[in-house]
Amino acid sequence: MTGSTGVLGALAAHLLGAGGLVLPHLNYSTILPELILLGGMLVILAASALSPRPLPTEVYATATVGLGIASLIASLVLWRDVTSHGAFTAIARSIDVDGFAVFFLVVVSCILIVAPMFAAGYLRREGITGCEYYVLALISGSGAMFMASANDLILIFLGLEILSIPLYVLAGLDHRREASGEAAMKYFVLGAFSSAIFVYGIALTYGATGSTNLAEIGAFLSRNVITSNGVLLGGLALLLVGFAFKVAAVPFHMWTPDVYQGAPTPATGFMAAMAKAGGFAALLRVFVSTFPTLRTSWQPVVWVLAILTLVLGAVVAIVQNDVKRMLAYSSINHAGFVLLGLEAATARGIAGSLYYVFVYSLLVLGSFAVVAAVGGNGDADHDISRYRGLGRRRPVLAVGFAILLLAQAGAPFTTGFFSKFYVVEAAVAAHSYALAVIAMGSAGVAAFFYLRVVFVMFSDVGIAGASDVSRGGGEIARAGAVAAEVREQDATLLGGAGASAVATLVAPAYVAAPELAPEGTPSEPEVSVSPWVTTGLVLCVGATLVFGIWPQPLVDFAHQATLIF
Amino acid sequence: MSVHASWYLTLAALLFTIGAVGLLVRRNVLVMFMCVELMLNAANLTFVTFARALDDIGGQVAVFFVLVVAAAEVVVGLGIIVAIFRRKVGATADDAHMLKG
Amino acid sequence: MIVGSSAFGPIVLTGITQGQRAFPYLTTMVLVPVGVALLVALLPKGSTWAIRAAGMAGSLGVLGIAAAVLDQFQSGDGGYQMVSAHSWVAPFGLSWTLGVDGVSLFLVLMTAVLFPIALAGATERTNPKAFTVWVLLLEAGCIGSFLSLDLLLFFLFFETTLVPVYFIIGGWGHERRGYAATKFFVYTFAASAFMLVGILALVFIHQGQTGVTTFDIRQLANTHLSGTADVLLFCSFTAAFAVKAPIFPFHTWSPDAYGEAPAAGSVLLAGVMAKLGTYGIVRFDLGLFPHAVVVLAPLLLSLGVIGIIYGGIVAAVQRDLKRLVAYSSLAHLGFIVVGAFALTGEALSGSVLQMVNHGLYTTALFLLIAMIYRRRGTFSIPKLKGLQGSAPVMAGVFTVVMLASIGVPGLNGFVGEFLILAGTFLTHRWWAVVATAGIILAAVYLLWAYQQVFHGKQEPDGDEAPFAEMTWREGLVLAPLVGLIVFLGVYPQPLLQRITPSVDAIVLHLEQSAHPKIPLAGQPVTSTVAARLDPYPSAVTVSISSSSGSRRHTRTNVKGAK
Repeated sequence: MTGSTGVLGALAAHLLGAGGLVLPHLNYSTILPELILLGGMLVILAASALSPRPLPTEVYATATVGLGIASLIASLVLWRDVTSHGAFTAIARSIDVDGFAVFFLVVVSCILIVAPMFAAGYLRREGITGCEYYVLALISGSGAMFMASANDLILIFLGLEILSIPLYVLAGLDHRREASGEAAMKYFVLGAFSSAIFVYGIALTYGATGSTNLAEIGAFLSRNVITSNGVLLGGLALLLVGFAFKVAAVPFHMWTPDVYQGAPTPATGFMAAMAKAGGFAALLRVFVSTFPTLRTSWQPVVWVLAILTLVLGAVVAIVQNDVKRMLAYSSINHAGFVLLGLEAATARGIAGSLYYVFVYSLLVLGSFAVVAAVGGNGDADHDISRYRGLGRRRPVLAVGFAILLLAQAGAPFTTGFFSKFYVVEAAVAAHSYALAVIAMGSAGVAAFFYLRVVFVMFSDVGIAGASDVSRGGGEIARAGAVAAEVREQDATLLGGAGASAVATLVAPAYVAAPELAPEGTPSEPEVSVSPWVTTGLVLCVGATLVFGIWPQPLVDFAHQATLIF
Repeated sequence: MSVHASWYLTLAALLFTIGAVGLLVRRNVLVMFMCVELMLNAANLTFVTFARALDDIGGQVAVFFVLVVAAAEVVVGLGIIVAIFRRKVGATADDAHMLKG
Repeated sequence: MIVGSSAFGPIVLTGITQGQRAFPYLTTMVLVPVGVALLVALLPKGSTWAIRAAGMAGSLGVLGIAAAVLDQFQSGDGGYQMVSAHSWVAPFGLSWTLGVDGVSLFLVLMTAVLFPIALAGATERTNPKAFTVWVLLLEAGCIGSFLSLDLLLFFLFFETTLVPVYFIIGGWGHERRGYAATKFFVYTFAASAFMLVGILALVFIHQGQTGVTTFDIRQLANTHLSGTADVLLFCSFTAAFAVKAPIFPFHTWSPDAYGEAPAAGSVLLAGVMAKLGTYGIVRFDLGLFPHAVVVLAPLLLSLGVIGIIYGGIVAAVQRDLKRLVAYSSLAHLGFIVVGAFALTGEALSGSVLQMVNHGLYTTALFLLIAMIYRRRGTFSIPKLKGLQGSAPVMAGVFTVVMLASIGVPGLNGFVGEFLILAGTFLTHRWWAVVATAGIILAAVYLLWAYQQVFHGKQEPDGDEAPFAEMTWREGLVLAPLVGLIVFLGVYPQPLLQRITPSVDAIVLHLEQSAHPKIPLAGQPVTSTVAARLDPYPSAVTVSISSSSGSRRHTRTNVKGAK
């Protein structure tokens, strides 16, 4: 007993603060989803070490999906407890079992159900054997769960590290590619940097409030009116910076494009979904439920962060020709939308953020799965030109990707629309009109680059010159000439555009031009999609459409999650 | 003799700043790691100082967690570096230049 | 069994009491194109014939339902009819509420007429499957927008229309289609960002006053808005509509989009999509922000008049036929805006009628131009000459359509413009006078272009064949349009009968909200009363508190009149 619970015991002792080791009552059922993931992970690890010959990657994938389903069921059981008995704390008040936490347990479980499907296809194609991806994904998932249910800054820190360290390794999973290793290193250095900042923030907060327990900090702050304690505000700022790094909010986003681009694509999708889920879970809980009294101090900062994140994410994504990098910037833009809910700091805002994170996780996983499939062996090439004619070669895949991208753009009748609507609604309800307008404007800019990919997928040289007069051989030559001309314009315009906001409104029009270029259409890359990936895509696209047309259950879920807080 | 707590805190803040600046300006990955360690230890020093000032054991316990996490981080970090630089001569961050950033 | 029947009893009863027609015409009308689009998407790519047939059948099916709606529509009733309301996303207050009144009825009919024509007249040969799917989805979006009584539902449909249009322009347009499609998309999307925020702000203000979260415009119309909030919300809505319509100076995307779009795209953009903007102004701006409308009417009137004159002048110097029609559209939409903000019954009726008229003759013009392009491969006016010689029938049809566009009596353009100008003259004399000059401009540029293109002697360069006469197929496509242009020019009464009651209800609501001191309760609603409306903002000295009681009173009154 003491052996297996040493860490938690020590934690409990520190929380109780009563000299001597007084072991708290450990209610394992409250952390059952986490335990399922960690226990399953150990079993997978042992199985792979003990089996006489290497097991196929599909076996691990099946096991991981099974564990994801198991933890989903365990989470839903917790949800039932919470809805019938109300929120409660467990394990020496270091674990919060409330609607908010359970919502994220469900999100993480869903990510873990879908992600292995995409990974299985990729790892098989790349010939990467072994159970590393799945083991690391499971550890990372448990970290995100701890972050969501933690009621103590130290536990949040532990969860953050349990979440992040496997992600560093996942980014470098593909030994053969130099870019993968580089991505891992960049992610690691900046991740460690942000962790250090975060810990220092905890230390300062601890010094100012006398505790690391969120409930106690909240109680302390409600007892003592503190408006300008330098140590406390400094701690708060450092905490925010640490979180901003994890969720890739501008100006702490600089690692995102490189890491997303370099990491093996299924790892990128997983990283994008999981890091945001865990990061936002803790960020929302710490700031909205623990520091509401200091709202006037942190709200303006979040306001600025949100605007920078929204605008930069959308604007820089426009000029990307690498689809993976474009999606990286678009994920920054999405982070800005989630911050919208935090800035509102109301129940509605939190519900909007929760909903957004859930929707975004599935969209981003599915999108990167398609990118992995189209990118070719060894993530060879993610240039947008590779997508030309995909609608003809793989119509179903292209339509699926189109739906995911349109949903990310916020097209009506997809989950994407309601997620954006939810947070914007919260912002308007909180009278942040400017922020709401900027968010919607950035969605307009973002829509452009999603549509551009869709457009390229469904345009061909044959279709491109669809004029009625001069069809046939002469037409292709003409289209080529036009394209060359437009490309020239494109280059000069982009050169001058820079970061100028005005130019970016005009520039996209020209950036769109490259799809006119026939580029001689070299050999069209083969795109192979394994049944695993297909299954995962069907899940993601299906959820996007079903909950886009019938969002009520998901909206209710997010709404209830914030009621039992 | 007793030294006032604020001196420790100032020292910790200085260490933290040195670590942060070092990480941002140095290009040798190993030195960058050390800078991260410096930052983490600055946080530890802050924890201990506050624990002493508040007469609360919690801060000291936190230090253990930070130490453990730091060790785990270093293990993974060194693993990544070894994996990358097995094929290279030096260990400078500038050698990693395939990605745009 | 007994339990079942007793459980279902009340539902049947409410169904009977709420409306005699159980069949959800409006919902069907929105869903049919979506269903057919899905069907077409599942057809194999090679089966061109089946794809075209399915697309045509779907759009004709919508026309059939629209005709049934017209048949069921009770003229003389100014309220919403055939309302079908279902809660959709309760936590958001979003509901699937569709209804039709005199304002939307003919816009829906026009949409239902124009889509089959656009499909039949489409000259796009490549990838008919994708084309048909996009056109059908666009039809669903347009009809849904016209029928929505729920602001959020309207916004959903309003936004939905952007995606098909983007792909239609981008996929089948002319040389600079990528640029045009993107410009169109970014402009309109950015503008509607303001509207979404405006919608939400309005809903929260309403929620604060009544405790009810709803997007239903029938309830939101009773919201009390402070002067500033009213004006700001009005501006946020108008931004979206002004770009969509477009109204000068928000028109800069439209010549590119109209010019680069394929024939069917131009038709749908100018014929139907533009009406989304003007319809939005009539339905939402006038219906929800009466104060701001009165305050800002002179501004919008001026923009409309500037649009008329500017569009006319720029059209006169165009050397490209398609861009000429694009700019003439700007001028015509200027008339519609003037009619909407003149705030009299006549002008507003004329405005609604003109939306339909403009849809018809602009469509015909764009189709004719596409026919010329198909034969000659150019839109350039100087390069075309003497087409009349070898194509007299086409020249004749062009003449009729052109005269309708100019506004010659006996053709449909005249009725709308006359009503608009007559109604505007009552309240805003000088705007009406300047707008009249726009008609003369229209005559100048259209007749000039006609003379250039059709008169003179053909000079075929090289081995070019002489200009071919209109084919039977082309004639069949144009025939319904020409028929309607003539019919509505001679006998617009059936339309006006149905439009006027709804328009009067809007004007009455405006008047009561903006000038509660005029005692109108119980009086018959006539448009002449509206003429008394003082257009000058200085006259708006209504205190919010005093307006509240009378506004509620008016609403009940209007409802009672139904």
